[in-house]
Amino acid sequence: MNDLPDSTLSPPSPLAVLAQRDEPAAPVAAGSQEARPALNFRQSRLSRLADRWSHLIFLGCSLLVVLLIGGILFFLASRGLAAFVPMAGNVGRTLRLGEVFLSSDWAPSSDKFGILPFLAGSLSVTGLALLLAAPTGILTGVFIAKLAPHWMRNLMRQVMDLLVGIPSVVYGIFGLTVILPIVSRSWLKDAPASGFAVSALILSVMIVPTIVSLSTDAFESLPPSLDEGAQALGSSRWQAIWHVLIPAAKPRLITATVLGLGRAIGEAMAVQMVIGNNPQWIALLRESTGSTSFLHTLFTPAATLTTELVQELPNTASGSTWNNVLFAMGLLLYLITMALILATRKLGQGREA
Amino acid sequence: MRIRTLAQTIVAGLLLSVSAQAQTVTVMGSTALGPIVKKAAEDFMKANAGVQIAVSGGGSMTGLNQVTSGGCVIGISDVYATPDQDKAGLVNHNIVVQPFTLIAHPGVGVTTLTAQQAEQVFTGKVNNWKEVGGHDQKIVRVIRPESSGTRAVQKKIILHDQEFTKDVLIQDSTGAVVTSVATTAGAVSFVELEHLEKNKARIAGIAYNGVECSNEGVKSGKYPVFSFGHAYTNPAKLTDAKTKQVVEAFLAYILSPAFQDGVVLKAGYLPVSYVKALKTKL
Repeated sequence: MNDLPDSTLSPPSPLAVLAQRDEPAAPVAAGSQEARPALNFRQSRLSRLADRWSHLIFLGCSLLVVLLIGGILFFLASRGLAAFVPMAGNVGRTLRLGEVFLSSDWAPSSDKFGILPFLAGSLSVTGLALLLAAPTGILTGVFIAKLAPHWMRNLMRQVMDLLVGIPSVVYGIFGLTVILPIVSRSWLKDAPASGFAVSALILSVMIVPTIVSLSTDAFESLPPSLDEGAQALGSSRWQAIWHVLIPAAKPRLITATVLGLGRAIGEAMAVQMVIGNNPQWIALLRESTGSTSFLHTLFTPAATLTTELVQELPNTASGSTWNNVLFAMGLLLYLITMALILATRKLGQGREA
Repeated sequence: MRIRTLAQTIVAGLLLSVSAQAQTVTVMGSTALGPIVKKAAEDFMKANAGVQIAVSGGGSMTGLNQVTSGGCVIGISDVYATPDQDKAGLVNHNIVVQPFTLIAHPGVGVTTLTAQQAEQVFTGKVNNWKEVGGHDQKIVRVIRPESSGTRAVQKKIILHDQEFTKDVLIQDSTGAVVTSVATTAGAVSFVELEHLEKNKARIAGIAYNGVECSNEGVKSGKYPVFSFGHAYTNPAKLTDAKTKQVVEAFLAYILSPAFQDGVVLKAGYLPVSYVKALKTKL
């Protein structure tokens, strides 16, 4: 009884997928042909007027969006660059690029503005989160697209969509009140668990749904002939996935990962609740006399660009050096995100060509 | 954050234009002080028909920035103005007293610290609770970000202006601090007294020099850890005689015994009259 469904179901499944794929395409084509005569109705003066007005409204909306984004970028850049260039409204001193980007000493009340700890913090926590999330997400994508039974596929997709909608502060509270105490009590002998490890774990849970959805799409868009060909040549399920499907979907998988990266690097709320927010973490590691193993570093309270912005920006006087440097950090984050988006588009184009 | 700052600017702009038309007194700043000032404004408007007082938040620094630039008439703040803002001619009015207390995770085995021990705990000279009479447990210091008013008070009174050790956890809000202390073994921190009273079940208060933080302790002068809530005005930007009159009457109302002993005390603050003068500027 148990063997029968398996042996009968698995061979025709690629064909079933093929049939499903053809079905939706046909009605759409038929529909568009039927819809065409409807467009040839005589246009009244009113409808022409409405057409012109709607055109203006659409144009207005898109201009407004462009204006808003441009305005925010201008605001960010003008305040951020004020840290390095004397500008009207500056009450603090102007800084040299070196003492901001090459120094790890952050103590604004003592006039020290090195942002290296935040940059290194952002990159490490995001990198760690990707190390956890990318393999998990991509393998889940393979499972949903190629291995899971139909009912489970739908269920998984819906669950992933739901996970994307959970506000980040919920993940943060969960990390602060559940994960941190568990890790510190069971593993670290009551030392605080705040730091890169738990933050990266929380972040990876947050970005896995994004990576899963996009990689599922990637695998589903592959022509079934690849999978069938590999199996016809005698490869096992695992060999077909590892040697054929994943290499074929690689550009889109990279895109999925980069989008996950973009979400992770910009996340502030959840991270700042569990990372410990210690801007002096590099100096602390350097000073600690004991062994500074990799594991030790993972559980050192640290800080990132976003967490520092969330904590300090509302409480600093505008025009002060401190405030300007914070805006410069915001600008840096904007540029990193921008570079990621451009990289994604480049990768996407490479796939189509 | 960008959106928040933009929104604040827009709100400030709107308030400014409204105040120009209807001679509304605008108050901006500290979200902690906001509720009692709002209550004072409601009572004051009830007693004085035709007067409009609009209270909005934004944070202490926003309040100070706005009152300096003339964006609002009164800026309320948990911290003193910066030297630059003082130079611009801001005038300080202390409106309430805020008592602070040391708190710790309930399992540390310590109920009191001397001034010297408290200082050593936060400067990093003492790293285990057994060195100050508690259990063998690493000390985990939870503090507020560098720009926080609470941290400024703590640095001035507890650390006597020395730097905090680098081995700290930092939490953004008092709520997060309390949660962190309640869930982390060996944690110690510094919060407003009302937050200890609300969370007695989760965290333990630590007496300072053998004196537990209480309203009576502050009043009798035995408990020295507290700060002022401030209302700043900017005479240089306050040219309209009628508005000036309203502002003076409103500040006088906040400082009146009826308001100070009633509303202020109930909101977790102490009347300014409890403390005659502070030796050091916080």
